[in-house]
Amino acid sequence: MNRKKDKGFESPRPFKLTHQVVCINNINFQRKSVIGFVELTIFPTVVNLNRIKLNSKQCRIYRVRVNDLEAPFIYNDPTLEVCHHESKQRNLNYFSSAYTAAVSAVDPDAGHGELVIKVPSELWKQGDEMNVLKVYIEFSLDQPKGGLHFVVPDVEGSMAERGAHVFSFGYQNSTRFWFPCVDSYSELCTWKLEFTVDASMVAVSCGDLVETVYTHDMRKKTFHYVLPIPTAASNISLSVGPFEILVDPYMHEVTHFCLPQLLPLLKHSMSYLHEIFEFYEEILTCRYPYSCFKTVFVDEAYVQVSSYASMSIFSTNLLHSAMIIDQTPLTRQCLAQALAQQFFGCFISRMSWADEWVLKGISGYIYGLYLKKTFGVNQYRHWIKEELDKMVEYELKMGGLPVGSNGHLTCPTPHLHFSIKHPHTLSWKYYKMFQCKAHLVMRLIENRISMEFMLQVFNKLLSLASTASSQKYQSHMWSQMLVSTHSFLKSISNVSGKDIGPLIKQWVDQSAVVKFFGSFAFNRKRNVLELEIRQDYTSSGTQKYVGPIKVTVQELDGSFNHTLQIEENSLKHDIPCHSKSRRNKKKKIPLMNGEEVDMDLSAMDADSPLLWIRIDPDMSILRKVEFEQADFMWQYQLRYERDVVAQEESILALEKFPTPASRLALTDILEQDQCFYKVRQGACFCLAKIANSMMSTWTGPPAMKSLFTRMFCCKSCPNIVKTNTFISFQSYFLQKTMPVAMAQLRDIQNLCPKDVLNFILDLIKYNDNRKNKFSDNYYRAELIDALTNSLTPAISISNEVRTVDNLNGDVRLILEEITRSLNMEKLLPSYRNTITVSCLRAIRMLQKNGHIPSDPSLFKSYAEYGHFVDVRVAALEAVVDYTRVDRSSVELQWLLNMVQNDPAHYIRHKILSMLGKNPPFTKAAESPLCNEALVDQLWKLMNSGTSHDWRLRCDAVNLYYTLFGLTRPSCLPLPELGLVLNLKEKKAVLNPTIKPEQGPDTTEMTGITMGGLITMETVSSVSMSSGVAPPPQGLKRKLDSVVGPLGSSSPEPGQVLQEEDTSKKFKIRVRISSAEDEIDMESPHDSQAFIHHHLNILERPSTPGKEPPAVDQAVLSLPVTPLPSSFGKESTSSSKHSGDHHHHHHHHEHKKKKKKKHKHKHKHKHESKDKERDSHAFSNSPASGRSVRSPSMSD
Amino acid sequence: MFVLQRSGGGKATSSPAENYQLARRRTLQVVVSSLLTECGFESAEKAAVESLTEMIQSYISEVGRCAKAYCEHTARITPTLSDTVVTLIEMGFNVNTLPVYAKRSQRMVITAPPVTNAPVIPKALIAGQKRTHPSHIPSHFPEFPDPHTYIKTPTFREPVSDYQVVREKAASQRRDVERALTRFMAKTGETQSLFKDDITAFPLIAARPSSIPYLSALLPSELELQTLEETDSSEQDDQTDSENTPGNNLNDDPGADKENSMLPPGGVVPSVKASEENMIDNPYLRPVKKPKVRRKK
Repeated sequence: MNRKKDKGFESPRPFKLTHQVVCINNINFQRKSVIGFVELTIFPTVVNLNRIKLNSKQCRIYRVRVNDLEAPFIYNDPTLEVCHHESKQRNLNYFSSAYTAAVSAVDPDAGHGELVIKVPSELWKQGDEMNVLKVYIEFSLDQPKGGLHFVVPDVEGSMAERGAHVFSFGYQNSTRFWFPCVDSYSELCTWKLEFTVDASMVAVSCGDLVETVYTHDMRKKTFHYVLPIPTAASNISLSVGPFEILVDPYMHEVTHFCLPQLLPLLKHSMSYLHEIFEFYEEILTCRYPYSCFKTVFVDEAYVQVSSYASMSIFSTNLLHSAMIIDQTPLTRQCLAQALAQQFFGCFISRMSWADEWVLKGISGYIYGLYLKKTFGVNQYRHWIKEELDKMVEYELKMGGLPVGSNGHLTCPTPHLHFSIKHPHTLSWKYYKMFQCKAHLVMRLIENRISMEFMLQVFNKLLSLASTASSQKYQSHMWSQMLVSTHSFLKSISNVSGKDIGPLIKQWVDQSAVVKFFGSFAFNRKRNVLELEIRQDYTSSGTQKYVGPIKVTVQELDGSFNHTLQIEENSLKHDIPCHSKSRRNKKKKIPLMNGEEVDMDLSAMDADSPLLWIRIDPDMSILRKVEFEQADFMWQYQLRYERDVVAQEESILALEKFPTPASRLALTDILEQDQCFYKVRQGACFCLAKIANSMMSTWTGPPAMKSLFTRMFCCKSCPNIVKTNTFISFQSYFLQKTMPVAMAQLRDIQNLCPKDVLNFILDLIKYNDNRKNKFSDNYYRAELIDALTNSLTPAISISNEVRTVDNLNGDVRLILEEITRSLNMEKLLPSYRNTITVSCLRAIRMLQKNGHIPSDPSLFKSYAEYGHFVDVRVAALEAVVDYTRVDRSSVELQWLLNMVQNDPAHYIRHKILSMLGKNPPFTKAAESPLCNEALVDQLWKLMNSGTSHDWRLRCDAVNLYYTLFGLTRPSCLPLPELGLVLNLKEKKAVLNPTIKPEQGPDTTEMTGITMGGLITMETVSSVSMSSGVAPPPQGLKRKLDSVVGPLGSSSPEPGQVLQEEDTSKKFKIRVRISSAEDEIDMESPHDSQAFIHHHLNILERPSTPGKEPPAVDQAVLSLPVTPLPSSFGKESTSSSKHSGDHHHHHHHHEHKKKKKKKHKHKHKHKHESKDKERDSHAFSNSPASGRSVRSPSMSD
Repeated sequence: MFVLQRSGGGKATSSPAENYQLARRRTLQVVVSSLLTECGFESAEKAAVESLTEMIQSYISEVGRCAKAYCEHTARITPTLSDTVVTLIEMGFNVNTLPVYAKRSQRMVITAPPVTNAPVIPKALIAGQKRTHPSHIPSHFPEFPDPHTYIKTPTFREPVSDYQVVREKAASQRRDVERALTRFMAKTGETQSLFKDDITAFPLIAARPSSIPYLSALLPSELELQTLEETDSSEQDDQTDSENTPGNNLNDDPGADKENSMLPPGGVVPSVKASEENMIDNPYLRPVKKPKVRRKK
């Protein structure tokens, strides 16, 4: 990457883009096609600019003109099919490297692209004068699979009446999917966008709408947008549909768009957007950078929120009416995220992928500030804790998550099954955690330099950018709008005078988190607290922490902060205590926040003044803390510590102390209505767990029952719940949670107590929402969840079929409720069909516990396209679960079919990620599902089936990894040759390491002579078959004959070969791991080209001057042995291969002059070859039982 | 009074009323037969006897009916001799011949009809106490009619005001309605079943994909809107600041609402409207321009 630390940004391209016109003059909803052109204005930065590389995927390009001269072009997309030539390799390491290579080959950040345009020679001279070039490209898109998503409901009426709409989407830089551009976040230019759409539609895009003009026939109109602020193509978007328009009543330059009939919801949902605007503008002391802002709500959205320059596209499912409680904060949060990304992400763009963390970090950080202001400090701290826990868990599981610049380049990540060098090769989960870590790191920086300085830095970045944005291109200021890790750090040190280098090094460049174990003892004589803090830095995903750590000790006399220094070898820290242990009952105990409270100190250890201890209370280290203290200390902490994080920690710890005292502490918290509602919710579940552990000694009614009765039931008749009002949201959330937690209670038979079940059934029965101004759909859904929680496995005598007659009485009642609720949903659907979702989950649980027959057909019908997305996901989750439990290959096929064919991208993604989370089998276990066909299918899916969607491809890779691991799937028959040839860089040719397959009868084999020999042979085989298929028969023969005599002189390798020969498990595997080498980027290339390129390099030393020796040898070896007729055919076909290849090489050499046509020819040939090889492989597979190659034959 | 009955000599009938009538009729038959004997007949066909019996019965019935009519005409309830005489005269019978005929020598004495119990008139429904006359009304006046003809029966019961019972009722009523409704829907439409052996046990209304699924999932149902209105109106009494009730956003604020709903879907604002809305200058509200007239492309 051409990034020099001090000189700012340097473009990797030999030209600079200044302006781009995108004109889409036809959008056909019926055919789902788009026709248009783009015109890029570029300044060459080199003399003799003869080639221009642009990004374009799936567009059909009709013509390219440069300054009105027709220009030849080559269009080649190596990511369409990652591994060419149906290889039998099937191992993920191989795929990942090939995929990374393919993505790198067209990476705009490295100056590459899929579309290579040859500048007409007439214009070459002009390069000297640095004249402007105008590149005009006509293109069309037909039924795009990615980039643009058409939603066309299948109903009567015109497209507008049907609510048909189209919008752009994608993960990271994906604009190339819908128009040719330089799809990089670092290539900024100004824009003119024109969209001609049906007169009944609105086209919403980036920038200012200058005018709307009818076409001559008055049936269409053209929307003219101008975006004067330099913007990256990746931040350009479009949505077209019959939108209803709402001008924000508070800010007239903000316009909201939604689908027909949803206007009332839009009005309500958008009614607080202005507050978010005000908040950000105030803290950043900077106006919103664009002159307008548009929000568009679309159906079948790819992600909930996606931000583009001056507009954001949201899922329509975020809209809600005033009656909905639960969705309100979620929608507000989504809006706040979108707006934060407008400042950092859209307006300020990034220099390279390695700087992404800065943008995500800042936008996440200011979003956090918004959370703090709007939802309160408790919510904020709860969120930070949640994010930290999530991130730490992921890192410990995956073993490290580097986010920063150097981390990308230096940190080796062999533990990951994907490359992190490109956004497009990342697992989606990783990307989510990446964002999470980014904002947590920002918070650490804030802790270090103070919020004031932090905001000053942001302000500085923004004001630099806005100054730059108003400049002309010629001023070379635009790169100020790009942020890099370096420039960010520089502003921080300028503003704060602090060097946060070490911090960045530790958390950004380095992956891994810190794992602390703490324990303590109180030394009464010295009145000293002896704290021991150990670290685990050996297990994966952990690192060693050295530096300060804050410890807070609550004593009788007050709360004291201590900063300890964690050093290399010091584990123990002595902390002097301020108070003597004593019992002054009258005195109040001061807390951290200055509050003074009365406590019942009888539970305390009489000798110690310590109430509780907290390690790193402010979460200023990315860590996991396991701290040991006595149960009464946790109880005090829960009751009296005011920090929600501390309360949640103590709730978690109390699970291990099922005592009446813990019970009391939890109950008290539950009743305390000043306590944060999420803490109280947590206390419910903890209480249920404790009650289960205390089963034998538990006295009184089931846990929480009397509490619930007191809080939510009528005074006069305690068995009936009050009619709903939901005025107090805290009580509402508690009322929702308590029954769910109660249903987790179990009696001695491990059943849900009858009391509890009846109680829940009564809650459902007496639920009355008539006088409530809020909807009770979430509450009712949670009551169904409670019923689900109460289910326990059915007692079955034998494996009998479940029938209605032998249904358990309680289960019958539950099933009645579920049936009725599910049926009522059809008549009166609830918001987001929450109740259907809960019912489906409940039915699956009934099936799983053996109460009703296990059957996926119900779920399959709910999973069909045409149901609300939440319902589909719930149904699919059930099918996925069924697939695992019943090991059903039919359902697995059905799911995979849906992954390939479903119209909704989100659903496809969701299926794969759910399969990954709840896999039908794993690499560790045997399963009848694990077979060759499945391997082929998944391989095909990730190799070529998902080329239109980066996220989906990575999901498929993830699933493949979960199912089969990094190496060759165990269910595949062992390959033909047991030799693994690892061509690592050029050295490997001279001294290659030959690794055996994991076959049972292969042994380690090394030897320079052998290696050299085999290398020669295999290289030639590679040139014949691209190195990954079972080698042609002729070669195999040759190998044998060569090895034969050698075997006597060096018995070890020879023997091995012999063994393998008889067992017929051979395969040559070539791993090209030096794909990042400098490659001839001038030529259009693909993986094929890579391999050839490398082979050319490889071959030179071994067989100089003679290119295809293997052919000769193979052909020559033929007459030596009499062969069956089929054998002869194969070898002729193989020689044909090599002939082709020879030809191919030839092509490669002269490729520069070839055009698209040739490319096609190539592909055609590959295909035919694939077919041949397939038949070949079949006849040679060990299963076929034909002993063509048995020693007796060759004799 | 006679009830004409042509049962054709039903035999096994044994209700007291029937027995009574049969006995009378048999007497009449004996009368007819004896008269025929008197007149010199030795035998007669059964049908002839039957016809004559019928005639005589009709005659007597008519005499009785008329006599009763006369008597009631003069505000009495029991017919007197004179009523009968007038009747007979009216019917064209020479009354003076009657005594002679009665005393004729060859008359035959017929035995009285067997004593059978007079048919019991079914008692009317007794409702309430039968009222006796008040003291100022002489006792011979007719009695009050049966109480059921005039007293009112209260159908109204004391409302149950017990909270628990009310809630119980409401809950079970709602549940019954819901169950009945869903069962009906399930019966009349396609269903899915959780069990293979008994597909009618827990029928589920089949899931049907819709072409625009988000509409029903996001928009509040009419029922919800209705309850919202109700709760709003009930709250407005104590809440003067109607802006604060969130439901009002949906219904109130008509200005903004109309302004947008009047927009054609394409966001074209009628020019008149646009001038009114000059306050808001939003490019999406501006009118769409006419294409420039170009002679040549």
